Amino acid sequence: MNTRIFKLFTILAIACLLLAGCASTSGDANASQAPKTVKLKLFTGKIETIDIINDVINEFNASQNRIVVEQEYQKDASNIIKIKFASGQVPDIMTTYEQGFVDEGKFLDLSDRSEWWDRLLPSMKESCTDVKSGKQYRVCTNMTMAGFFYNKEIFSELGLKTATTWDEFTSNLKAIKESKPDVTPWFIFGKEAWHLGHLIEFIPHGYIKQSLGAVEAKKAMLANDKAKLNFGAPDGAMATFAKNMLELKELGYINSNVLTATSDNCVQDFVSGKAAMLSNGMWVLSSLLEANPEMESKIGFAPYPAYMPGSKPVVLSAEDSGYSISASTENKAEAIEFLNFLFNAENQKKYSEGAKAPSAFKDVSAQWAPAAVVAEVETALKDAVNIGFTNEKPAGFSGDDMGRMVQDLLAGKHTPESYAAEYEKTWDGGMQ
Amino acid sequence: MRHVKTGLHTFMAFPAFLLFALFFLWPLAQGIGMSLTDWDGIRAPSFVGLQNFFSFFKDSRALGDIKTTLLFTLGSAPLLNLVGLGYALLMDGEFHGKGLARVIIYLPAIISPLIMGYIWYFLLQPDRGFVSQAMMQWGFSRGLGDWMNEYWLEMLVLILVNVWQYAGMTMVIYLAGLQGIPQELYESAKMDGAGYSSRFRYVTLPLLIPSIRINVVTNIIGSLSVFDIIMSLTDGGPGYATESLGIYIMRMCYGSKTGYSTAVAMIMFFIILVPVVISMRLTQERE
Repeated sequence: MNTRIFKLFTILAIACLLLAGCASTSGDANASQAPKTVKLKLFTGKIETIDIINDVINEFNASQNRIVVEQEYQKDASNIIKIKFASGQVPDIMTTYEQGFVDEGKFLDLSDRSEWWDRLLPSMKESCTDVKSGKQYRVCTNMTMAGFFYNKEIFSELGLKTATTWDEFTSNLKAIKESKPDVTPWFIFGKEAWHLGHLIEFIPHGYIKQSLGAVEAKKAMLANDKAKLNFGAPDGAMATFAKNMLELKELGYINSNVLTATSDNCVQDFVSGKAAMLSNGMWVLSSLLEANPEMESKIGFAPYPAYMPGSKPVVLSAEDSGYSISASTENKAEAIEFLNFLFNAENQKKYSEGAKAPSAFKDVSAQWAPAAVVAEVETALKDAVNIGFTNEKPAGFSGDDMGRMVQDLLAGKHTPESYAAEYEKTWDGGMQ
Repeated sequence: MRHVKTGLHTFMAFPAFLLFALFFLWPLAQGIGMSLTDWDGIRAPSFVGLQNFFSFFKDSRALGDIKTTLLFTLGSAPLLNLVGLGYALLMDGEFHGKGLARVIIYLPAIISPLIMGYIWYFLLQPDRGFVSQAMMQWGFSRGLGDWMNEYWLEMLVLILVNVWQYAGMTMVIYLAGLQGIPQELYESAKMDGAGYSSRFRYVTLPLLIPSIRINVVTNIIGSLSVFDIIMSLTDGGPGYATESLGIYIMRMCYGSKTGYSTAVAMIMFFIILVPVVISMRLTQERE
């Protein structure tokens, strides 16, 4: 009997708890009459802009009482967003973007937002355009560039000019090595696979993009057009890149600890004059200037030299800080209202200067870097073929995977020919 | 009366079973289902049968990862037990500063393995690490040498760092076992003329079997599922040379091969299960 009463009480208690959980919290009649506040989630993986965006969000939240925006930062944002999509916890606005999500209709079509596109540089609008549909699903507020940062003082002392061909490039490295044995001619931080992946992105992929043209290269990559990409050819862009890298290693023109060096090591050596050149994007600028503010006048910037017959130097000039709105959000109007606020010229000036990246908006004039560096970058952009990032890579072959293949190459596991063949095989495998 | 009690016990166990079903059985069933699909985390999945399992055994990178994981376990699990037992025997004795010594040995175990790995990387980094720099100061011109380009040296460093971090945890379990052994047994063994090694062999070891079992099983599970120490020390590189199976699963999952990575997780479950069952059986027989 006692057992039955105990069971009955337990069941009643559980039922009460469940019902209490399901109950509405708006017991106060006045609360239901108050204006409804919409909460917007902004999801980002950009650590360098957290504070700036929080400032903008605070201003926006204070300017009205209908919408509250919250920023969520995740270091591994491009992967975390997959979990969010899979679990149905999709943020309203996000800075992560992937072709697969575009194909699946996960992003809101922003093509009709002429108030944004009319202000954007044409090249940036093109970069924001999906090749398959011709529509825009994200707005990129900034640009980023990548190329060779070099120490102008060392170059000037040795009478060197920035190289436009691979022969000139190796001559420069040789001159530095012979005249300054304690200086690393080109510092590569190869422990970080993404950095080596970027070398592929900017040098052999750069060649493909310049020879096919930006749009045709994207189409060839999406369709895995082997005749055009030609990754596995023993005399193609990949094999030649591999041969050149092995030669530089053999000749001691790159750091001997290439496979164990980190980004911090590279910054330290460059700002202390122990390294003459490094390959990186504009995002490294703040680290260089923070490590040694006196470098401001010594930092030079040059394109990647032409390394295939008939090719030209290239420099990355790509979209940065892209914002997309979830197609499934119930708060589209509010998300657009917030982006209108974020995209206004005053906020974009702050953002550009804080992020050290030039604005993609024509009406924003920002001092995003020291004048001498800006002049160097502008010259490089003028003198070289401008290329973008490869967003059309196979889903199963990331930039990190590309970098690991270069690690294997530099560790002596490949010949140039076997490296090129392996690259093609891995690219094909990633397509499946 | 007996029937009523059994019913009450079953009823009382129901919430625990519900939680077990919700957080273990249901995800497990979902995982098994997912491992039979080609889900990439974005598009709707299609059923592919056992294809993911066959693909795993054809992938040279995956097979290399099994080799690395097994080597790590073969080095790490026995060493952890030996060092842990050694520490426990030392700490079971009487000496000044015993409490402090125990804390020092146990301390690394409460630090995040990721942070530990990064700290060790800055200490051991070829050319630039503290240890290399110190060795160069003492006249060793190559410092530690380029250990990250030698697979065996990399494995050795990974194993030693792992042992250094978790030996304290193993020690605590052995110490509890040692302190549970009645002193009378040692005294009667002494009276029978048994020396230290005989007392250790015939009294300590047999009575430590439950502790040995716990340590062997947990160290095998921990070593076979190693992730963070490798991520922070070598990042699984160069290339994929020191990548473990746990890291492979994570990279496949985030590399748009979610279905495949779930299949690998199922395979890993059996890779862990086999040695665990064997060691449980062996220690049970001894006990």
